[in-house]
Amino acid sequence: MLARWLAALVAFVVVFLIGIVTIGNFGTGIDPDSFFDSEGANSFAFIGAIALVVAFIAYAAVEYAQTRSFASISAQFDTRTIVLMPIAIAINIILGATVANALKLPIYLDSIGTILVAALAGPVPGALTGFLSNMLWTYVVPPPFQNGPAAAFSIVAVVIGVLAGLAARGGWMRPRRSRSTGELAVGAIVALVIVVGLGIYAYTRFYGSTVELFVEDSAPIFVILSWLIIFIFAAIVVGFLVLLFVRRDLAVPYVTVAGVVTGVVAALISAPISANVFGGVTGGGTDFLVAAFRQAGSDIQTATFQQGLLSDPVDKLVTFFVVYLILAAMARRMKARFPQGELLLDELEPDQPDADDWRGATA
Amino acid sequence: MTVSLRSVGYRYAGASRPSLLDIDLDLRDGEVVGVAGASESGKTTLALVVSGIAPRTIGGQIRGKILLDQADVDDWPMHRLSERIGIGFQNPATQLSQVAGTVFEEVAFGPMNLAIPRDEVIDRTWHALEALAIDALSERDPRHLSGGQQQLVAVAGLLAMRPEHLVLDEPTAQLDPAGTRLVADAIAALAADGVSILVTEQKTDLLARIATSVVILEAGRIAMRGRTGDVLDDPRLEELGVAETSAGRLRRLASAAGVGGARLEAALR
Amino acid sequence: MAGGDRLSDEARPARGIPPSLGRPGPTAYHRLNPLTKATLATVTAVGAVVLGGVVGPVGLVVVAVLLPAAIAGVLPQLVRTGLLLSLPIAISAFVVNLFFYPGAETVLLRIGPITATAEGLAFAIEILVRILAISGAVTLFYLTTRPSDLVVDLERRGVSPRIGFVTNASVQTVPAMVDRAQQITAAQRARGLDTEGSVWRRIRGVVPIVGPVILGSIAEVEERTMALEARGFTRPGRRTLLWSPSDSRTQAIARWALVIGLAATIVARIAGFLG
Repeated sequence: MLARWLAALVAFVVVFLIGIVTIGNFGTGIDPDSFFDSEGANSFAFIGAIALVVAFIAYAAVEYAQTRSFASISAQFDTRTIVLMPIAIAINIILGATVANALKLPIYLDSIGTILVAALAGPVPGALTGFLSNMLWTYVVPPPFQNGPAAAFSIVAVVIGVLAGLAARGGWMRPRRSRSTGELAVGAIVALVIVVGLGIYAYTRFYGSTVELFVEDSAPIFVILSWLIIFIFAAIVVGFLVLLFVRRDLAVPYVTVAGVVTGVVAALISAPISANVFGGVTGGGTDFLVAAFRQAGSDIQTATFQQGLLSDPVDKLVTFFVVYLILAAMARRMKARFPQGELLLDELEPDQPDADDWRGATA
Repeated sequence: MTVSLRSVGYRYAGASRPSLLDIDLDLRDGEVVGVAGASESGKTTLALVVSGIAPRTIGGQIRGKILLDQADVDDWPMHRLSERIGIGFQNPATQLSQVAGTVFEEVAFGPMNLAIPRDEVIDRTWHALEALAIDALSERDPRHLSGGQQQLVAVAGLLAMRPEHLVLDEPTAQLDPAGTRLVADAIAALAADGVSILVTEQKTDLLARIATSVVILEAGRIAMRGRTGDVLDDPRLEELGVAETSAGRLRRLASAAGVGGARLEAALR
Repeated sequence: MAGGDRLSDEARPARGIPPSLGRPGPTAYHRLNPLTKATLATVTAVGAVVLGGVVGPVGLVVVAVLLPAAIAGVLPQLVRTGLLLSLPIAISAFVVNLFFYPGAETVLLRIGPITATAEGLAFAIEILVRILAISGAVTLFYLTTRPSDLVVDLERRGVSPRIGFVTNASVQTVPAMVDRAQQITAAQRARGLDTEGSVWRRIRGVVPIVGPVILGSIAEVEERTMALEARGFTRPGRRTLLWSPSDSRTQAIARWALVIGLAATIVARIAGFLG
């Protein structure tokens, strides 16, 4: 068990370092400072994604060598998961298409299904759900739903699935009701620290030099739009923390942090794709935001990062909460039979003790 | 082949009480066993347990023994059991595989999963379609059929797997009257052909028509069992929450009105 | 089974699969193996991005999109659909790049505080051509290939039947879910739900529809799981296929040639040969 994760970690680090060193001509050294240059981040994200795939292969290879099967991976794919995946994929595509075509808001809402599957079944099914959603959205779904650029972002969807699955595996999506005010306060503070910390870091790295966003000759629409996004983001974070105290559910800060972290990682990986392949334009409401930043003086690479770091955390935060609400609305019995379902149940609810000659399924 | 349940009990996952207790039942070749009872009496649970869906697919805990010709099937995986016992459910739409563009592919889905050779898959599929008299629908899209037709497609899909027993859980419950008639007639035809069936139903008319014996459940236990005619005419039916058959009602009303006799009995036969 | 034996007593002429199954397409291009068509679409789309500039993608569009579309007889449909799809993106791309290209110097015209630049125009055209190439390639694939055909072909080559199942079921679930959403919308409207009007009202109107659609679909998971397992779905390994699309050695070679060509182009691009 440990050997597999170790092999995966080693593979990830090795491939990552090789990548950074060989593709150095994209403008990076291993100096941690310039890692978050726009150009450096291109290779960073690209190499990170490839390293992830190699790490997965390493994990699977070690497991096969140990047990001649892929049991821990295929166990995540029982019939129930297989039945859920098409539903999740359809939810992704329909909601994503509606938001992109009808509501020109700078968010995506195309990952609800991915994160739902990841929470219930695990990182691998979640990743596969994301991958297939994007591929089918481009190649197979008829207009008006079809989205040309989606397939190029499949790797982003994969990473989102993995992160959400790992978060759920760590128990982060589990309800933790009726906690004391002290615990709730600590949770709120920790969540705030992480979110604000990430915000400050992103701001100084990516936005620091473009305070001209709010310079006089910016078209007013862009100024308003950017303030709106920042306001919405702050409002959501504050709102959720209020929810924390109203529902007395300590899961709120966990879900908040998971959403924001996933959003930041998704932004880092999707920005280079958006910039290099599509010139920052993918047909949704996010294009206007990119235009706003470019008008303020950023090049394409930086502008897509700036847009991503606003849209993605908001989008993933909302998505994680929607998934949390969906899970809360699902009956206990429905969740329990999923591979990771046990990790989504409130641990304070007692379970049935087994009586003597009653037995569960042996096959 | 005989399916035997010995002292079988079942409790759903997370439930505080068992839904089935002390069930002793035999399903023999060529027999049609009807199961009736009030809602929540355990009819569906019994169907799920006999077919193996409980506890394999849905979890929960089981007690007692289930034997197929004296062989204990406790450790049989679901796909092995599905070749011997097939189960059909109430909702025609959720039984569709969603991967078939035609009724033919839908019915062939089961045998294909079992990796049966291609020619035999095709052969079995046509036989199943003809058994349900729906071979004319073979190229239709199953999603665009009526509820009754979809239910027939579902049963054909089960027959294609050549099970030795068919379990049908309230097959007409979610159908309109036309669909109910369609499915009831089809099941009656199968029964007449000698297919072994266990059918649970609220509508005792169907049971009266096809069942050789009837079992009445109450609160998860068998409250009454016997030959169809005996059980369905028993006055205790009402307190067990079981609807009387149309024929029974007619007899009762007729005798209350002072009408009856040999001609009535002959007509009801 | 007793009943089954009786049914097969009479001698019956052997019947094959119904004619609509695996019916070959109307034109030679349709009849190509689905994997070939998918490879062509992907290589074209990726190639357009890798080549950059305007000449490369335009050439690709003519050779790999318009020509096969003409052979397949779907040219009018392709142009209509492809344009329709890329129109919103094209508009965005044009507006954004034409007017807001940073570091541009050659001014074409001025509209108040906004200036259109030549560099911006050039870049906008480049992005536009690229988007048209991708959209065209993918639309050609969509118009000439049934997704279930591709799934069957992949399954024949060894892809897990479960992945095939998920793909096929997803394709059927999307329209089914849309139907369900429309039914729920109609029902909610009858109860007085407001779906027109301001953006805020529309967003609020979406929630009472999205909730039931999602939760209703999830509630079906249990029933569907039981139905599938009753049909032998849990059996591991491969399953029987009723038919599979034809393939030929020529096509296999062509596919490899396309992929190798793309790889070579990528290498050339990274090494700087293409500028």
